[in-house]
Amino acid sequence: MIFVSRAVSPYWDNNFWEFFATLGKRLMHMACDSGPLAFDELQLMVLICIAIACGLLGPLLVLKRMVMLANSLSHTILLGLAISFLVSSALFRTAGFDMTHLFFGALIAALLTVLMTSALTAVFHLQEDASVGLVFSTLFALGIITVTLFTRDVHLSVEVVMGNVDALKREDLQLAGYLALVNMLFVFIFYWPLQFSSFDRFLAASMGVRCGFIHTALLFLVAASCVGAFRAVGVLLVLSFLVGPYLTARLFFHRLWQLLIATPLIGVGAALLGVALARHLLTVFDMALSTGAIVATLIAVFYPIAYIIKISFQKRVIE
Amino acid sequence: MGEALSHAAYPGVVVGVTFCAFLETVSFSGSLLFAIGGAFLFSLFGLWTIEWLEKSGKMPGDAALCFMLASFFAFGLLVFSYLQSAYPLFASHVQIYLYGQSATMTDFHTMIYGGLAAVIILFLVVAYRPLQAMHFDQNFSSSAGVAPPFLSSFSFVLLVLSIVIGIRGVGVILMSGMFIAPAIAARQWSDRLSVILWLAALFGLLSGFLGNVLSVDLSTHLSVLFPERRLSLPTGPMIILVGSSFAFFSLLFSPKRGVFARIVRILQFRLRSDEENILKAVWKRGGISFSECRKTIHLWLPTLFYLLWRMQRHGWLVWAYQRYSLTPDGTRKAARIVRLHRLWEVYLTDLGWPEDQVHRTAEEMEHILTPELENRLSKQLNFPRFDPHEQPIPERDDFR
Repeated sequence: MIFVSRAVSPYWDNNFWEFFATLGKRLMHMACDSGPLAFDELQLMVLICIAIACGLLGPLLVLKRMVMLANSLSHTILLGLAISFLVSSALFRTAGFDMTHLFFGALIAALLTVLMTSALTAVFHLQEDASVGLVFSTLFALGIITVTLFTRDVHLSVEVVMGNVDALKREDLQLAGYLALVNMLFVFIFYWPLQFSSFDRFLAASMGVRCGFIHTALLFLVAASCVGAFRAVGVLLVLSFLVGPYLTARLFFHRLWQLLIATPLIGVGAALLGVALARHLLTVFDMALSTGAIVATLIAVFYPIAYIIKISFQKRVIE
Repeated sequence: MGEALSHAAYPGVVVGVTFCAFLETVSFSGSLLFAIGGAFLFSLFGLWTIEWLEKSGKMPGDAALCFMLASFFAFGLLVFSYLQSAYPLFASHVQIYLYGQSATMTDFHTMIYGGLAAVIILFLVVAYRPLQAMHFDQNFSSSAGVAPPFLSSFSFVLLVLSIVIGIRGVGVILMSGMFIAPAIAARQWSDRLSVILWLAALFGLLSGFLGNVLSVDLSTHLSVLFPERRLSLPTGPMIILVGSSFAFFSLLFSPKRGVFARIVRILQFRLRSDEENILKAVWKRGGISFSECRKTIHLWLPTLFYLLWRMQRHGWLVWAYQRYSLTPDGTRKAARIVRLHRLWEVYLTDLGWPEDQVHRTAEEMEHILTPELENRLSKQLNFPRFDPHEQPIPERDDFR
């Protein structure tokens, strides 16, 4: 089935450069009449949406020192999703991945993680890193077992970590698009409060910014982005999208608004190059590699390249 | 740290097995050696990467950790997807390392992992003192020359080694739980490092054993239920679940630091304070009827009944002529409390507090002061006879 659709895909047998040529041609065409999306375009657009959604949250996460929490969230959404699926299939006899699952799964995961972590530190007097570690490993283990037991499918638990770009559907694009939109609106509307609360909590609080609300909303959006992205890239590579582009952008930009623009752009660039590269490798070397992994690896590779560029640039300035 | 390094081991496993696939050695033992070697090298490389990112990239520590973890894992998945399309047989070898599986282990595995574990235990036993000094006070240990400078980096190597041992059974993603859960559980039962270490090892051992047993049991159960699916539960999640239930159990029920023990202690203290307040009230009036008692001591009725009953049983109160009055024992105890209260008031006024404000803190302190503190206080205040409100302070002889 997949092979048939690939054979009729306009990108069939394209290498790296031809991919972009075809993409450009199809974009021109699409301005006149909208035909069905080719598979590569679907992948590309989903990955771009994820890159935008995550790229907008990444700078805030790192600045607010919430990376470890995001890390544990990206694992625990599995349990949240499993619970939301179980409840919905038991109560309403519906199965399928849609907005409600996204919403409730993210909500359950975020609530469970944050409440348990803070309970462990406050009530049990554990160190913060220890409680984060304990909570996320326990919840992830529970999630894996629940998924294996109730879907009765061993491969799903592997797919959860790897992501599966080949199984994407139109609904996934819709989902990722909504996510990108919501995150954009969030950052746009709450730009000032976010800026204050990520650099100086006390100043922000004294100026009437509700740090608690901002913090909670950010956590929820991170959880939602993890859920939205996990079908495409899996629970772990979301982290790459969240943290990697920001760290690269940070080498060159130092203002929050610049960072908030540059970070998603770097992610989008990685997605473009990644999908083209995946097609190139398939065409030229006949290697079918996971597109999500390629994009995440590209994000990682961007950092040392950017670092070298920056160093050499600095040297030139000094000379 | 353990989490990041165990994730970093994943590409090592994949690359090792891929290398093995190139050489076309199909045996499990061959791929095992390559996997171990690759995992070890990549974990070390990950460690170095984190340090470099923090130092040269000037990143915050948590971001560096996360970035390294995600990037290494992404690379691992990339190579894995290649392996899956090119050598599906070897890909199934790699998949085991994701969530762990012990069913396919052989004697060869046991020997290798046992040997590595023995190396770690040996090191811990030999270098126990320097390690202890290093972890409690880095500056002291390095200036006193207790811990050689390479010890810290060497213990990181051992951390990596323990990850390499664990990922076959527990899986790379959950391996960090194995570092945390047994340690948390052990910490609740003791304050001594050596005891904690042994306990943690024991908890780890138990969770490994029970987790495996459970996963095998459940898998056979499932295969009876759904014979056509060929389901098997991975061992890793089960092991982690057992381990963290040990941890949660210890956090709740350990006698010294557990939550229940703490709640019981708090309740006991509250009850004692209430008891002492009743004694004081009776002492001040010479005797008290039940309705008066209810008015002065605001307590839930059953609690009040219980306390009065308990004090009668201790022989501090007697019930006669519709009133509670103090026995000699009770008088002594009540007088001591009043003395503490008034001593503390004197002390606070000595410090310069206004007289009308000292009563409230004294109400609290009277339940806390120990006999030694009492002696020191009265000596320092020159054995006062009256408190700031011109009330006599009971002599010690009254209640000895």
